[in-house]
Amino acid sequence: MQSEQIKARPIRNLAGKGRTAVAQARLILLVMVNVAQLWILAATVEAALAHRFSALLPLVVASGICFAVTLTLIFWWRPASRRFTSSGYLKR
Amino acid sequence: MSSNLSETINKVLADTRSDESDVRSATAPHQRDFPYDREEEAQVTRREFCNFLGLTSAALFVGAAGFAGKAAFDARRTPQFPSSKIEGAETLAPGSSLNFRYPTTKDSAILVRTLDGELHAFGQKCTHLSCPVYFERAHQRLECPCHDGAFDAKTGNVLYGPPPRPLDPIKLEVRADGEVWAVGREAGSSEGLI
Repeated sequence: MQSEQIKARPIRNLAGKGRTAVAQARLILLVMVNVAQLWILAATVEAALAHRFSALLPLVVASGICFAVTLTLIFWWRPASRRFTSSGYLKR
Repeated sequence: MSSNLSETINKVLADTRSDESDVRSATAPHQRDFPYDREEEAQVTRREFCNFLGLTSAALFVGAAGFAGKAAFDARRTPQFPSSKIEGAETLAPGSSLNFRYPTTKDSAILVRTLDGELHAFGQKCTHLSCPVYFERAHQRLECPCHDGAFDAKTGNVLYGPPPRPLDPIKLEVRADGEVWAVGREAGSSEGLI
């Protein structure tokens, strides 16, 4: 038992680092999508003021896709390490 | 006496020190009144930040959809414009301008009498980002001070700068005794709705 714990420790650390990296990547993706949506909103305002109505629908659709991606990232795309538990031991 | 005074001042300052100066520490009375864990409250968890980004994304989507919807709705309807007399237009000197409100009191417009005596009127909102344009006498053109755009004073067409379309022209009518009336307004060469 004692020897198993000693062996498992490095694996646990690696799994924890991997989860952190995935969580950070998820956060960065969310920020990037938000920035893209901000740009789309600015383009929508400019197109509306310029009466370029043919550009409005694609811009709104693009913003909607970004929102869908955000929802996907928040609700489904979560970091998960299934092979090892949070304590670092193999699941039975 | 002076030491008493300074002691009193220090005491008062100590008692009334706001806990907002440092969110991680609070005076005893404030901590007693609001007994929450300040260390924990001062942090935002990753999950909270993700949720905030989700809400921001929703708000940006709703904003874009709302703005596009309103623009399309405004373009579809054909508003009826009332006739309105432009006060002081008959005495306007050539090479000068006059501001007035048309079609409603919220819409600013500009009337220009060019050097050849012709009258031209336009909505005053720049077609780039809605800054008010002004008549530049030296060059006899309408200029936007925000992003350095310029329009022809006779046609409203873009001379240079970022504006994507001409100014909205206002139809004028010269009636008896030289009175000048605004009788309609158009959108400056807009494309049709899809």
